[in-house]
Amino acid sequence: MRGAAAVFLTLYLLRALVAEANSALSAAHVWLFAGGLYVAYSALVLPLRQGLSATLLAGLLCDAVAPVAFGTHAALFAAAHVGLFALRERVQRDEIAVRVAAALLVNLALFLALSSARLRLVPAEAAAWPRMLSDLICSEAVVALIAPWFFALQARTLELARVQPPRIG
Amino acid sequence: MRIGQSQRFDQARPFVALGAVLAAWLVAPVALKEFARASFFEMTAPITVTASYASDLRRFWTLRLHSKEELIEAGRDQARLDASYSLAVQQNGELQAEVERLQGLLRMPPMEHFRFEHARVAQRDFSGWWQRMVIRKGRDYGIPEGAPVVYSGGVVGRVAEVRAYTSVVELISNPGLRIAAVVEGDTRPISYQGAENPVFGAAKGVVEFLPLDVYASATAPKRLATSGLGGVYPAGLTIGRIVHVEASADGLFKTGEVALDPRLAELTEVTVLVPSNPG
Repeated sequence: MRGAAAVFLTLYLLRALVAEANSALSAAHVWLFAGGLYVAYSALVLPLRQGLSATLLAGLLCDAVAPVAFGTHAALFAAAHVGLFALRERVQRDEIAVRVAAALLVNLALFLALSSARLRLVPAEAAAWPRMLSDLICSEAVVALIAPWFFALQARTLELARVQPPRIG
Repeated sequence: MRIGQSQRFDQARPFVALGAVLAAWLVAPVALKEFARASFFEMTAPITVTASYASDLRRFWTLRLHSKEELIEAGRDQARLDASYSLAVQQNGELQAEVERLQGLLRMPPMEHFRFEHARVAQRDFSGWWQRMVIRKGRDYGIPEGAPVVYSGGVVGRVAEVRAYTSVVELISNPGLRIAAVVEGDTRPISYQGAENPVFGAAKGVVEFLPLDVYASATAPKRLATSGLGGVYPAGLTIGRIVHVEASADGLFKTGEVALDPRLAELTEVTVLVPSNPG
């Protein structure tokens, strides 16, 4: 499980960076969500057990700092992970563009799933949508921007942990 | 035939694994989930607190770049403020003594007293779904869950979670937070709830059950303050300003829009009101 631990370490770092970015952007009321990055690399590259373990732990990390039922992020991340894992043999998953596209799609799906779960608490739902939309656009832009760096970081961390991901082909 | 079955099982294996994980999670005891939540939160706390201290250090070095003339001017302004606050403290002391004398005469129960616990803001988390901040004091300073949090502009929110050395504060702009409030100069209680948090703009709240004779507009706003009902917030603390009212659907009351102070999104220090006699 060294691979799962190594990938979880990078996801821990990602959560810390995103939290700091959100804290800095709070005055502008802009909020970033990078759920797709927690799932994409481990679902596309790692074996099921290692990848799913890392994704579940990262989901629990997100749950611990959010006012949602504990396990919500973990369940959504795990579902996205399994969906992506089942599709991975049908796509050119060694291509960086494919990985980034997968991260963007998963990010969109997770954002919409969490929004639909949280919107019932907002008194004026219609008024909340413009904010959700702007957060989603900013989040997708940031995910597209940092995904290549983050995937390279995850690959390098696996190398340092002397974990050889299975050959893609 | 066997190869086909094996392939089908291989395809279904991820979903079987997901089902097994979800089933195990559903039957896991609540105590285990609570323990896991606290453990994962504490795992994130060192980074949050370290980043906050690093930010303070950066601010310190930035302030050191100010010239001596600027510091002298700031010191002079501060001395003037101190003088006016000293007078206010004396007046406050006299008023407090008067209140206690009247309470004694009328045999009223004593008002709740609070200990002021100042805390630095370590991290802010303002999404469209929730509005929270992490402060750098927790169980180590005796912060209780549910305690009101204030700043110079009024109410910030309430303590939602207390951890070992950090606490999570739920802001008044959080859509899930409700407070019993009153319009300034009126004693009838109304309900306030956090609402919209538009991008690049100040957060807003809504008020419900406003009496029909209350009027407010953007040009003539009404101050909204805590009512003191509910036992969490002391009375008279500013929540925001009612800038728009309209008749509710049933016609019995009005609903209104509350503009919150934009400084709420930039706070670096807040005060937790810790009840002196909890329970």
